[in-house]
Amino acid sequence: MARYGMALDYKNCIDCKACESACKEENGVLLGADKHRIWVGTKEVEGEFPFLSISSSGFVPSQCQHCEAAPCQEVCPTNATYYDENGVVRVDADKCILCTYCMNACPYDARYVDDRTMTVDKCNFCSDTRLARGETTTACQNTCPTKVRTFGDLDDPYSEISELLRRRDHYSLKAHLGTKPKLFYLT
Amino acid sequence: MSIKEFVASIPVNKVGFKDIFGYEKTPRNLILTVLTFGLLAMFAAGVGLYLLHGHHAYNVTREHPWGLLLAAYIFFVVSSTGLCIIGSLGDVFGFKDYELISKRAIFGSIVTILSGFAVILFEIGHPVTMVIYNVLTPGLTSAIWWMGTLYGLYLTFMIIEFVFLLKGDAKFAKYFGLVGLIIGLAAHSNLGAVFGFLNARPISNGVYFPMYFILTAFITGVFIAYLFMGFRYKLKFPERVKKMLTNLGKIQIFLLSFLAFFMTWKMLTDLYGGMPNRADVAHHILGSWTFWAEVILVIVIPLLVLLKDMGRSHVAMFYASFSGMAGIAFMRYNLIHDTQVKPLQMLKVYEYQLPPTWIHYSPSAAEWMISLGGIGLCITLYYLGTKFFNLDADEGHAEQKA
Repeated sequence: MARYGMALDYKNCIDCKACESACKEENGVLLGADKHRIWVGTKEVEGEFPFLSISSSGFVPSQCQHCEAAPCQEVCPTNATYYDENGVVRVDADKCILCTYCMNACPYDARYVDDRTMTVDKCNFCSDTRLARGETTTACQNTCPTKVRTFGDLDDPYSEISELLRRRDHYSLKAHLGTKPKLFYLT
Repeated sequence: MSIKEFVASIPVNKVGFKDIFGYEKTPRNLILTVLTFGLLAMFAAGVGLYLLHGHHAYNVTREHPWGLLLAAYIFFVVSSTGLCIIGSLGDVFGFKDYELISKRAIFGSIVTILSGFAVILFEIGHPVTMVIYNVLTPGLTSAIWWMGTLYGLYLTFMIIEFVFLLKGDAKFAKYFGLVGLIIGLAAHSNLGAVFGFLNARPISNGVYFPMYFILTAFITGVFIAYLFMGFRYKLKFPERVKKMLTNLGKIQIFLLSFLAFFMTWKMLTDLYGGMPNRADVAHHILGSWTFWAEVILVIVIPLLVLLKDMGRSHVAMFYASFSGMAGIAFMRYNLIHDTQVKPLQMLKVYEYQLPPTWIHYSPSAAEWMISLGGIGLCITLYYLGTKFFNLDADEGHAEQKA
């Protein structure tokens, strides 16, 4: 089994939103700004006008961090949130009772309520779609024009992501919380 | 004795429709009746809105997923735990002065937790799924799982204890009461841990809330004890009730002082060092009127009344208990809101929302109606209890009658 993760060369991001569109299309995510599995954050420009630091402006794509010690999984009363065989943090909609404790517990604000099932949903690395079809990419990675995203098996030393992480400095979001995210931001 | 015989032996008053409405038609009673029916109608209307629109009837959002219904649920179960503690003083711990309120308090604990369950039933999106998968795939690391499971068990023990109290079997009431109390305290501290376990939200994370919940439950129990006794004796308290209320007042002075001490240190530790996501939230809390409403209604007013003559102004304390309970309602709302008020969103600046600021939430009509309706349920169940059961101290508390 694989241990999937994603490296983000976020400085390449041009905020074209192709990843968000591809994710919605691939996974049938409802339209609307509040229904999203992935998003592109915008860093505010630093400084006071007219002394603005243009280089401080940037875009930071984000999504579920697929933590190895996921707070959302720990707090779920019915084990609706679980780790699958590939280490992907998934939600079993049949077991979800919509207590929304996971939404409160997730430090990355990566979950939302799917209005069709009235259960909590989030990124699952395209496990129900692409991975289920035997592919080894995610829709967001596949569509990115500037190759921000690299998805792959962290346990495979020859995978592109493992090589990238060996070669490049990287950090995780809110690492101090000890959640061990599997999304890595390349510096 | 077979179960059927046992159930048949439980003393229950034969009450008809006429008896239920055959109360003294004083203006106060009539107002209370209209108020209660109004609250029940609100509950029905709120549930109707929920059934029509589902969770969309509520103003909860992705960023503020917990709203007034959860605060109302906590309000009721805190009351239940508090009444269980008050009821246990006499029947479990053997403090004779408190035996005269035991049966009433234990019945109150059953009524309040049932009202809490009625409210949370419409907050949980899939209650049937919950019942099934709580058993089939229990999340043992989840404070919510433990809280819910233990509260279910607690309710069972409270009912059994109440039955033995009705039958005047002090010995078995004590055993079941003790186990019920322990389970109730475990359940209630787990409810505190629901917030204490939130690593993502430093303002609530830690051991404070599990302990604070027990402390405030005891305080709530004392307030409700005053209300129970005030209504029972129409503010003309017999001597033995006065003695008990004075003692409860003294306990309340200690508890409220301790709460003030507790809250002060919580605030100071939140503010000290300016830790992000904690100190700024603490500043925000200190600047909110609901926080000061909580402090004034729960601590300042009751404490001033109690300190005036060390708990001997029972009538004044009856009225101060209304202030206390209103403050406890603010306390629960504040707890819910304050833990979610700081956005977690990372850099979703102008595409989806305004730059991160404080998250706003105001309950919808359906949330108000179901929450306030819970109070109507509580009053109705309690009133029916006073008709169907003898809630005063009886044969089981022979010494008190002497």
